[in-house]
Amino acid sequence: MSDIETGLFSIDELENVQITIGKIVGAIEKKAKEEGVEVGPTPKPGISGLRDWDFTLLSRYQPVYTPVCDQCCYCTFGKCDLGGNKEGACGINMEAHQARETLLRVITGAAAHAGHGRHILHHLIGLYGKDKPIDVGPSNLVAPNTQAVTGIKPETLGDLEEVMDYVEEQLTQLLATIHAGQEGAAIDFESKILHGGMLDHVGMEVSDLAQISCLGMPKSDPEAPLVEIGMGCIDSSKPVLLVIGHNVAGVTNIMDYIHEHDLGDKMELAGLCCTAIDMTRYQTDQGQLPQAKVIGTLAKELKMIRSGVPDVIVVDEQCVRADVLDEAKKLSIPVITTNEKIMYGLRNRSKDSAADIIEDLSSFKEPGALILDFDVLGEVAPELAIKMSKIRDEMGINALPSEEELQELSEKCVQCGACEMDCPTNLPIMAAMKAGIDKDFSKFENLHDKCIACGRCDQACPKDIPVLNMIEKASQKLIREEKGLMRAGRGQISDPEIREEGVNLVLGTTPGIIAMVGCSNYPNGTKDLYLVADEMLKRNYIVVMSGCSAMDLGMYKNEDGETLYEKYPAKFLAGNLINVGSCVSNSHITGTAIKVAAIFAQRQVSGNYEEIADYITNRIGAVGVAWGAYSQKAASIASGCNRLGIPVVVGPHGSKYRRALIGKPYQKEDWKVYDARDGSEMPIPASPEFLLTTAESIEELLPMLAKNCIRPSDNNMGRMIKLTHYMELSQKYLGHMPEDWYKFVRMETDLPLAKREELLKILEKDHGWEIDWKRKKILSGPAMKSDVSAQPTNVKRLCKGEC
Amino acid sequence: MVDTTKNTQIYTTWGRNVAKPVNPNVAGKIISKAKRPLLVVGSEILNGDHLLVEKTIAIAKKGIPVAATGHSITALIDKDIEAKYINVHSLGHFLGDKKWGGLDGQGPYDTILFLGHKKYYLDQVLSGLKNFTDLKTVAIERHFIQNATLSFGNLKQEVHLEALDEFIENL
Repeated sequence: MSDIETGLFSIDELENVQITIGKIVGAIEKKAKEEGVEVGPTPKPGISGLRDWDFTLLSRYQPVYTPVCDQCCYCTFGKCDLGGNKEGACGINMEAHQARETLLRVITGAAAHAGHGRHILHHLIGLYGKDKPIDVGPSNLVAPNTQAVTGIKPETLGDLEEVMDYVEEQLTQLLATIHAGQEGAAIDFESKILHGGMLDHVGMEVSDLAQISCLGMPKSDPEAPLVEIGMGCIDSSKPVLLVIGHNVAGVTNIMDYIHEHDLGDKMELAGLCCTAIDMTRYQTDQGQLPQAKVIGTLAKELKMIRSGVPDVIVVDEQCVRADVLDEAKKLSIPVITTNEKIMYGLRNRSKDSAADIIEDLSSFKEPGALILDFDVLGEVAPELAIKMSKIRDEMGINALPSEEELQELSEKCVQCGACEMDCPTNLPIMAAMKAGIDKDFSKFENLHDKCIACGRCDQACPKDIPVLNMIEKASQKLIREEKGLMRAGRGQISDPEIREEGVNLVLGTTPGIIAMVGCSNYPNGTKDLYLVADEMLKRNYIVVMSGCSAMDLGMYKNEDGETLYEKYPAKFLAGNLINVGSCVSNSHITGTAIKVAAIFAQRQVSGNYEEIADYITNRIGAVGVAWGAYSQKAASIASGCNRLGIPVVVGPHGSKYRRALIGKPYQKEDWKVYDARDGSEMPIPASPEFLLTTAESIEELLPMLAKNCIRPSDNNMGRMIKLTHYMELSQKYLGHMPEDWYKFVRMETDLPLAKREELLKILEKDHGWEIDWKRKKILSGPAMKSDVSAQPTNVKRLCKGEC
Repeated sequence: MVDTTKNTQIYTTWGRNVAKPVNPNVAGKIISKAKRPLLVVGSEILNGDHLLVEKTIAIAKKGIPVAATGHSITALIDKDIEAKYINVHSLGHFLGDKKWGGLDGQGPYDTILFLGHKKYYLDQVLSGLKNFTDLKTVAIERHFIQNATLSFGNLKQEVHLEALDEFIENL
């Protein structure tokens, strides 16, 4: 009997009959066996599949709940006041409810990415077929997250469908646990949070693998092109087509139309948020130039619309303001929605002719249209932008107030403080209004970069003063100068790059990976990102960027007029700066860590998540920074990092995620692992000392980053390098030597060379360590030994003789 | 005498349990009577003209140990006060642990005073303390911090500085 394969089949005897075989039961296991790949203990884990691993992590990193609301309003028993950890009518207490609330955010974020993944996969399979090979660069391990979690080694787009089936099924199961009368224990909600985060990275990976393979995006390319970025790089004398969102599927049809009709020089195509990043990746894998410009992040959305510059706005999905249509209508800008996730109540024109839609929208018969047919969209959007540009010019639209009006509006302010109190960052708006009366608008200008353009000030003002427009008008000069360069997203880190750099990461001689991800809700403006990245790059850390952070980083230049993307090379090597790409490219960051375990350390990867996570936890000095995290997606991304033992620091706004995972360095019993060589217990340094926490300022953040890259596997050279950076950054930014530096010292060669003698004296004098001064050796004192052969693990079954 | 209890307007709500507005003299006496007080100072003290740094030092000189969060420690080194750096989120976690020895190893604190923090950040940290500990928390900030046990109301900067002086006099 011959084996059946997937694909299309015809039967000779039957005319007009074609059979499609999709999935075959046991195919993954069979294929793995044929290829000699052993599948680990947890392929496609269910909710409880990795619970023991989660509990191991959570016993060291305890949940810290800081509720955003003390009440629960989930069912009609309530509202219930859970204040003081009381139980509500259903029996749930505050801790469990907070964990449940966090889970809801995490799976919302994961669903956003997975929904995106399913949409673009479906779209691309429609265009290229299920047999289209996955091609993301010179790698054998093309889908590290997918393979570690599901055991599937995908080779074609069709293979990714089964991966998405798993992710979607698990997300449904997790969502079910949110319902009243389900889970009651905070600790199990916590495990579910980590499960949701892990699924998120699989969903993201599918999205990016599919689009890189089909849309000509850079494939692990360190030479990915530089892209213009900033509100100032838009030539507003041309028709401007603005695209907002995250899913580039339909936008590629617009780009193709512009290219085919030679409209590239006649109009501006610009994007906000991750669609912008992916537009600049589209068809650049053969050295072509990017065909679009990037304006920036969500924080630029309302400012860009209110500038009146766009002639047409196209939105797809995620991080698109809910009021885009209302705001655009005020300035006669038609809006086209292109994805079922955002339709704004607009009429579905997908089956209408392009000419009819253009006529209706340009005559303002309708404020916009829903177009789900991307061929129609491809024609309508650019042609409408060209037409609207003339119409809007003739209308003479004045979007922002004049200078005279600025003064009048300042005079209208009664200094009640409502705007300041309602501002998410409590910016000093009243002082700007006061100065504005005397025609001094510099204080408004100072607010520009710190303002995230949420528009809450406008809503709060009892005098209906358009505060945001005032800030934008006063900052016109700054906005015109907002021109930078961002490296287009290069996709994943390739296997050869891992082979070259993996050893340095595990031994610590490359001091760590700093992954700066996430959104633009910064506590103190965008420049902080530049300062952090530059400081860590100068110190030879590998800095990896993605999403909105990748954009904002490109906005600043050094004294030589260079952005960091121009200053630093983009290989996966110490001191390099990498932009992996858009939001969904975050999966390549966790993927990199998995690859180090799989490729450098030869750990079995398929369906072997716990062992891979355990390896990463103990050996790879990586810290995520989501300095402006605001979204549910950022919460799910962080949770996915956390399950792999990768710690994440968020900015102070991140405290509103209502839960952190923080260890207690003073609790010695929490900082022990097994030595896999013999199963004995060995003490480890308290690093990372958290899995998810906040920092107040970048001055606090910088030493935290260095410290939390320390891992048990560091060799002496590695520990010395890491400790040097921790001490230097503490002295530079906090003005003092960190109090706990000595706790990371195992022997004298861990100490920074230049200060070794001085530090040995301190160890002897302040901490009572015994020093042999002739040989300058530590005789006693350290809480742990230095043993490069040790095999630190949190998982008993991985120890010799255990299984 | 400064009245710091008038304007307690809030723009978002955490729930039913809201801070009691307090005047500086009363706040000062409460801290004076505490067995083991701790002043938690945030990086916002470094803003503007450093007037809050002076107030912080004056409070600390009354014998109250300081937990310096963010990078506020940079202004408190070599000032002959007992100040140590700690991350405020970690501090919130440790404060709820009766086994934590405190910054000085002398055991847990009973009354926590807050100055120089971002309003939204502090309210989050305090939400954890409010719901999961029995600590008394006192906010002497410019804004009404609703998740504290006691808080000044929303104040203009000059009134806030005056209130802090009165608070210090009553320590």
